Amino acid sequence: METHLLRQIADARARGSDDARPGVVDAVHRHGRLTARERLTALFDQESLVEYGALAGRTTDPGDEAFADGLIGGVGLVHGEPVVAASYDESVLGGTQSDRNHRKMAKLLYLAVEHRWPVVCFANGGGARLDDPLPPPPIAVSPRGRFELCDGLAELNGWAPTVAVVSGRAVDGHAAIAMLADFTIATASAEFGTQDGHVRGAGDYAKTGDVDVVVDDEAQAIATVRRYLRLYLVDHVPGEAAGDADRIADVIPENRRRPYDMRRVIDAFADAGSVLELGAAWGRSMLTVLARLDGRTVGIYANQPKSPLAGAIDAAAADKAARFVELCDAYDYPIVTFVDNPGYMVGPQAEREGIARHHARPLAALHHRTVPLYSVQIRKAYGLGPYAMSGWGAARRVPEMRLAWPSVESGGMSLEGAAYLVKRKEILAAETREEAMAIRDGYAERMRDAASGLRAGRSYQFDDIVEPAATRATIAAMLHRTPRARTSIKKHAIDPR
Amino acid sequence: MDPEDIAALQKARDRLKDAARPDIVTRVHGTEKLTARERIELLLDPDSCIEYGGIAARTRDGDWVGEAGGVDFVGTVDGRPVIASSTDYTDHGGGYGAGRLGRLFALAVEQRWPVVMFVDGGGSRARHPRAGMGHIETSGPVGRFSFLDGVPELSGWAPVVAIVSGPSFAGHASLAGFSDFLVSTPGSSIGMGGPPMVEAALGQRLRPNELAGSEMHERSGGIDLLVADEPAAIAAAKRYLSYYDNDKPDGVAPDVDLDALAPDAGQPYDMRKIVAAISDADSVFELRPRFAPALLTCLARIGGRSVGVLANQPLTDDGAIDHDAASKIARFVELCNTYEYPMLALIDTPGCVANWDLKGQDPSVEPGLTRWHSRPLIAHQQRTVPLVSVQVRRGRGLGAALMSGVSSTRGVPALRLAWPGVEIGRRDGYSAVVDHNAFDDVIAPRETRERVSRLLGMFGRPAPRERKKHPIDTW
Repeated sequence: METHLLRQIADARARGSDDARPGVVDAVHRHGRLTARERLTALFDQESLVEYGALAGRTTDPGDEAFADGLIGGVGLVHGEPVVAASYDESVLGGTQSDRNHRKMAKLLYLAVEHRWPVVCFANGGGARLDDPLPPPPIAVSPRGRFELCDGLAELNGWAPTVAVVSGRAVDGHAAIAMLADFTIATASAEFGTQDGHVRGAGDYAKTGDVDVVVDDEAQAIATVRRYLRLYLVDHVPGEAAGDADRIADVIPENRRRPYDMRRVIDAFADAGSVLELGAAWGRSMLTVLARLDGRTVGIYANQPKSPLAGAIDAAAADKAARFVELCDAYDYPIVTFVDNPGYMVGPQAEREGIARHHARPLAALHHRTVPLYSVQIRKAYGLGPYAMSGWGAARRVPEMRLAWPSVESGGMSLEGAAYLVKRKEILAAETREEAMAIRDGYAERMRDAASGLRAGRSYQFDDIVEPAATRATIAAMLHRTPRARTSIKKHAIDPR
Repeated sequence: MDPEDIAALQKARDRLKDAARPDIVTRVHGTEKLTARERIELLLDPDSCIEYGGIAARTRDGDWVGEAGGVDFVGTVDGRPVIASSTDYTDHGGGYGAGRLGRLFALAVEQRWPVVMFVDGGGSRARHPRAGMGHIETSGPVGRFSFLDGVPELSGWAPVVAIVSGPSFAGHASLAGFSDFLVSTPGSSIGMGGPPMVEAALGQRLRPNELAGSEMHERSGGIDLLVADEPAAIAAAKRYLSYYDNDKPDGVAPDVDLDALAPDAGQPYDMRKIVAAISDADSVFELRPRFAPALLTCLARIGGRSVGVLANQPLTDDGAIDHDAASKIARFVELCNTYEYPMLALIDTPGCVANWDLKGQDPSVEPGLTRWHSRPLIAHQQRTVPLVSVQVRRGRGLGAALMSGVSSTRGVPALRLAWPGVEIGRRDGYSAVVDHNAFDDVIAPRETRERVSRLLGMFGRPAPRERKKHPIDTW
């Protein structure tokens, strides 16, 4: 072969590498960031990237300096399994999206759909590139393959995980990637915006449930992506109980009206160091985490008594639970729930937010699930509250196992609330608040005795009332009997919201 | 058989009739409401009813008794089978027992029959013998479906219509919340927790309608339609079901000059008039008209064929697509997809806006994207019914994609039309190049109806299905 041809390619490739651009690399590092290539290197197992379109440019000019046309992408390995990744390069024309790099993206998404590979996209950039020379019609519309960006991601939704990482600014078309991914990570300083100058920080997007996890920097973001993908890609790993697993009962206060942090229950239940919480900043009365139990991937969602709504399920919490159930079902993760809620949220504010419609979303998601579900009721679940956590009790699809702890109590409404209604006259006539509370709580206590703890077991409201420390072993044993079963078809989409 | 046994049965049946309880009928009529049986009579075709649970058991004393709390029937509406149910608040507060509707829902699932249910009442029946503590869960399964999981099972399989013409709270509101068409009347209320529960939990004393009024829900999206009274609600339910019957004769073209209606650039116009002008005369039935009014969702007919029409309404917020509008699109696409209604999208939007209402910040609406805006994209991606898009003027940003799907193989419009006023050649943050293949044709507005109708006529009827495509999201 003619050596100058070989050299031309080698030179072009070399000029696009980070080594050839020390100025750019230094500037990126000064901001505590990684270059587009470094992100992929950090994401993938050692040297495993097979790159697509490295030589693409803004023009076909041999001297073109829009390296890779601003999008580095290809197929690499994460924990030994194929993963597609793309990283927009902000140092090349602001990481903007062109017709050409859209076609690169389309090819990568096609591969992901075809082979059911997860996709990771570092979605920093200024949206569409407006000043590219317009190719003349009609040859301008070169075929992009089966998918474009948005429909490719929509097609992947529920089929293979899609992860977006935003560590700079995601504008318009880049924001679309972040909003279509089923797992979105942003650094604290990341921003989402439009070309006409509207910008919002990652913190705001996390509070509305549009970003799942906020991290300090890109290294943390990439470590989180690798954890997220490992849960999906690697079914069974060695797993150890947390150090305080035997003392899980101690998390629950003696006083049944005192709140506690459900995160501590989950930490003590799951394998040590395995908990990855999603959406911590929104719908805060509901916790959603991915974790391992005895080495197996599980989705855990739980009420959070230590939250502003004391665990009551409002529209946001219902949406959050529904989306999580769909995610677990799509990726075949068995589900574990920890139940301690005073029911769905009531009152004029909750009704304005549409709780009468939103409450049905987790119930419908649970109804249509095919993954096994194990529920553990810790204390209360009133009204329709228990169903949000494990589905209808008398139904076609019931939990594989419903457990409760000895502290369990049940009722059509909160015992205190029911006591208030029964003793309303006496309570309103009471001289002091203390006296009123004493009347209410005394009656609640008597009602509690009638339907709680052992009696809940005697009446077979649960499959068993277990000692808290035995919960882990019981559910782990059942998980071995109902291991993660990968389905060969796409079950359903994961609702983005 | 002993004639006395027959007579005893007849006597027990007569006791169920409204004629046997004039006081109650007078009381119900005094509130300008219909009795449970009157509701069903208005709904179902005459002499089509088969009652379920009228006589359900015999007491130890030998008396025949019926299921309490309401009435249930299989009957027909316009000659097609429908499950019809009504609570009766004069009977045990309209409370549901353990399994009253479960078996009927099982029938509906097997036969793919629509369900129409009046669901006013206050939740589970506290002292039903089979239900401990008023706690439905403890009562156990009664058939293949309980009345609780029967509704999500039906969702996306056969239409479920709920009518709320009174206070509906807790379990009753839950049933209403699962329906795919929820119609209500002024003064009614639909809420998760009724006034006593709200007083006990939050210390607020509110009347039902102040707490969760249907007038509020009409704007916030909790219901699909607010109508004047119960007869109007029943008429709306029948109308909704009429589109499910997709074998009507050709429709009549409306007598409108669409070329004259079509807007010039920048000129305000009412998209509703354009929807009406393309559809068969008097066939447009708008759903959720006052919720997210920048986006119209209508059932209609074109050339006799049922269609779902999605349209931007530039009269409100310039036709921008906010969270609510995005959800409204997604849910409507799911509905059309499951009931096999081909779709028509009339596009004229400046794109997406995000609603911000965070603690400590003033609420604002700004251009931008959120996950809400991805819902329509996902819904279109799984849509298999054909969609015809007509771009009236603008389809900026992701706006056109939210209305009609992204333009590659799946979810792609079956026909992409535009009117001469279409804005072409705009490049924005979402599109790098001008698509030289943006439309299949540009036509005069007046040609639209004929063009769409002709293509619809070529689409075959959907093959019978063994299972549903997907449920319809309740939000």
